Amino acid sequence: MLPLLILVSVISFGLIQVMPGDYLTRARMNPQITQETFSQMMANYGLDKPFYVQYWLWLKQIVTKRDFGTSFETMRPVYWTLFMGDRLMWTIVISSSTMLLTWLISIPLGIYSATHQYKTSDHTLTFFGFLGLSIPNFFFALVVLWLLVAVFKVGNYGLGVGGLFDNRFINAPWSLAKIRNVLWHIWPAWLVIGTSGMAGLLRYMRGSLLDTLSLQYVQTARAKGLSERIVVYKHAVRNAINPLVSMLGMNLPTLVSGSLVTAIVLNLPTVERAFWSALQMQDTYVIMGGLLFFSLFLLLGNLLADILLAWVDPRIRYN
Amino acid sequence: MKKAALMLVVMLFVLSASAVLMAQGYETQPADAKIISLGEEGTAYENQELGVQGGTMYVGSFTDPKKWNYVTSHETSTTQYTNLMLKGLFDTNPITGAIEPELAKGWDVSDDNLVLTIHLREGLNWSDGTPFTADDVVFSFNDLYYNEDVETDTRDILLLPDDTYPVVEKVDDYTVMITLSMTFRPILNSIGAPILPKHALAQYVHKLNPDVPAGTFNSCWGLDTDPAELVGMGPFIVESYAPDQHVTLTRNPYYYHYDANGTQLPYVDKYVVLTVASQDVLLLKFRNGELDALGIRATDVPILKREEAVKNMTVLVDPDVAEYGTSWIGINQDIGLAEGTHENMRTLFRTRDFRAAMSHLVDKQSIIDTLYNGLAVPQWSPVSYLSPFYAGRDYYGGPVTETNAVVFEYSLDKAAELLDGIGIIDRDGDGWRDYEDGARVEIELNTNAGNTVREGVCLIVSDRASKVGLKLNFVPVDFNTLVNKLFASTGEMIVLGLTGGNEPNNGSNVYDSCGGLHFWHYSACDEPTETEKRIDELLDAGVGTLDNDVAFEAYKEYQITLADDDLGLVYTVNPAFTYAYFNKLGNANIASPIASPSGNNGLTMDLVFLK
Repeated sequence: MLPLLILVSVISFGLIQVMPGDYLTRARMNPQITQETFSQMMANYGLDKPFYVQYWLWLKQIVTKRDFGTSFETMRPVYWTLFMGDRLMWTIVISSSTMLLTWLISIPLGIYSATHQYKTSDHTLTFFGFLGLSIPNFFFALVVLWLLVAVFKVGNYGLGVGGLFDNRFINAPWSLAKIRNVLWHIWPAWLVIGTSGMAGLLRYMRGSLLDTLSLQYVQTARAKGLSERIVVYKHAVRNAINPLVSMLGMNLPTLVSGSLVTAIVLNLPTVERAFWSALQMQDTYVIMGGLLFFSLFLLLGNLLADILLAWVDPRIRYN
Repeated sequence: MKKAALMLVVMLFVLSASAVLMAQGYETQPADAKIISLGEEGTAYENQELGVQGGTMYVGSFTDPKKWNYVTSHETSTTQYTNLMLKGLFDTNPITGAIEPELAKGWDVSDDNLVLTIHLREGLNWSDGTPFTADDVVFSFNDLYYNEDVETDTRDILLLPDDTYPVVEKVDDYTVMITLSMTFRPILNSIGAPILPKHALAQYVHKLNPDVPAGTFNSCWGLDTDPAELVGMGPFIVESYAPDQHVTLTRNPYYYHYDANGTQLPYVDKYVVLTVASQDVLLLKFRNGELDALGIRATDVPILKREEAVKNMTVLVDPDVAEYGTSWIGINQDIGLAEGTHENMRTLFRTRDFRAAMSHLVDKQSIIDTLYNGLAVPQWSPVSYLSPFYAGRDYYGGPVTETNAVVFEYSLDKAAELLDGIGIIDRDGDGWRDYEDGARVEIELNTNAGNTVREGVCLIVSDRASKVGLKLNFVPVDFNTLVNKLFASTGEMIVLGLTGGNEPNNGSNVYDSCGGLHFWHYSACDEPTETEKRIDELLDAGVGTLDNDVAFEAYKEYQITLADDDLGLVYTVNPAFTYAYFNKLGNANIASPIASPSGNNGLTMDLVFLK
């Protein structure tokens, strides 16, 4: 895993260098900053050195001091800048709840779709699934907010849109009413991110189950006189779900990164949003820190998927 | 027993001491408080009204602050908060734009204009109750702004043209003396930089506290600092901050502005800025009643105008009041100079009549109508429209007259005539104009990709140019690539903009022939044209006097020379100021670009109140 992470870091560092300009390019257009100050800033940030020296210094810092660098913008450590406040906590809360809901809804729907293959209900489900997949998230999120504001006029009931809380709860201590208010602010995220992920899962589940249902052991089960319910749920689904377990592992990084576009429109604090703003400002070490963090979770996710797979499917054994 | 009594005395002492420290605000209005003459006729504030204290106000902002440290900050996402927390010796009046005393109550100027004696307001406290004195002023300049160990761009603003800095000395607790090596008019503006609390910050300055390593100050007052440690003299102090969510500011109990009724400002108790990354969502939140005021785009105006009466809001649109800053087409007169290429083009770009022809090709009305919904103002001068030194204003010397107003109206005929006059004509009959040697004139026009307005300007200009047979190829490029092109002098023609303000001298880094941003003609530093020499002289004349009327005359000629003879930059249009607020806000009509030099959402926050 470590060599892979180092490879990732080399490639990312190279890519950042290929991006035109650097963190200070914007400052150069400020009529009030003189060339001397500008050069001094370049030196302070280490941006005047060749990129391989910058990379080497950065790597050395990590190994010797376990210091992942400092954000140019906040002058604070990289991971503090990325996770500032409760960003990581909120990202995990929002992503995991969305993921849970998506899975809880799409797996049964996929099973239903497979068992009702080519019926009107199957087509309808597929249609809506793909509709959710094909509507761009930022657009759908904006439409939801617009509907709430301009059509349902939620402002008249004292309800806000976007963000985590209504204004009156911003600085209030936690209470039942505040939790209810968070739910009111998170459901658009569930709707928008959920609908975009549903189609894929639903079709996977459907396809996988259909494959399994045509296998001989299912026919054998039916021939034994088992009820259709037991055939489907106990025999077919258990095997059909394996490919989805691998997918679950690959979803792990999204738990900590969150969904960027939706988070921007719905104004939710997520790690990826901080990462995105670092990308925009070319805050090199925050970008590097973010990339490493996300890659680490991708690797962990794959590992977890393999372990899970071995657990759900006794046939898989790693030697 | 004796011990217990002693303990009791000590405890009482500690209690009373902490009671003094926790005292909230002045017992009586300080004698040197600054009185804001709201509603008084004949003053700048005659259209404002006296308000009442209380309530919370909500506005929105695109980005989070990056730190709480004004000195090391470079961007408005931070200064929009620090400017509410801190005050300088001088400030700009939010209505007239004139300089007026802030922490200073007055100043004397020596006969030779070189020594300023500044009298500070007495009896004022920082937000934590510590008295404000001349030590804070001296600390801010000598230990922060002038300290090489501190990273700050304020140092550049304070630099005098002869490469010295104003010398700041303490005379007594409430008097500061500032000595200059030369007369420099914008000095009142630049020494108006925020004053910082010595008692709270001296511990982070390596020079004063050798225990901390060099450079410690640059990272102090970061976002992880407990807001309770932040101290200021401004109307608000930070109470809490949640990333991507909000910044909550609360009133400074020791703020020294009072209205004529003796009510302490600011009027609102709390000021909450919600972080919303999308302008569309900001607009929705405003329409939903979650924000009390909002800076809007020209395209938002029609939507809000429809709801204006029903929702009891005001959509403030003044098509004649332009935002600060400049938008222009830069024609690179040094193109190919370093590489020894582009000789034809360089000669052409160095011809004044070609640049005049380009000015005639800018169809400003189409740009205003199609790209700004009609809400923009044609621009011709490097000085911002609202500056008292803008040649079109009558603030000082009187506006430019009909005869010397510089207007290059949109005219294909005049452009064609000018191009014919300099021998740029179609020689091979293919419909495009050619150089004398028969090569086609083909110019690359760049702007930063993603800026739809600038892209629109490029499309309109290249379309109009094609109508007179001038071939402009529009190529949008990444912003940073564009900036690199500017500094390397490799761009041919570039559409871009620069920030601006009231002080024309802030543009000297751009328009002076040796300025670091004189990117359309860097070689002018060694061999300036006659016109550029004159511009340098006029810029010097504008700062070499303390008489604003004399300065105005210099700047008037500067603007006309630049726009008429030099034409280094061909100006396009500037967006008009647009703003919207709910009518429950009092004094919100003060909103203008002047009232928001630092991006405070267009409102002078200490005067706004909730009806």
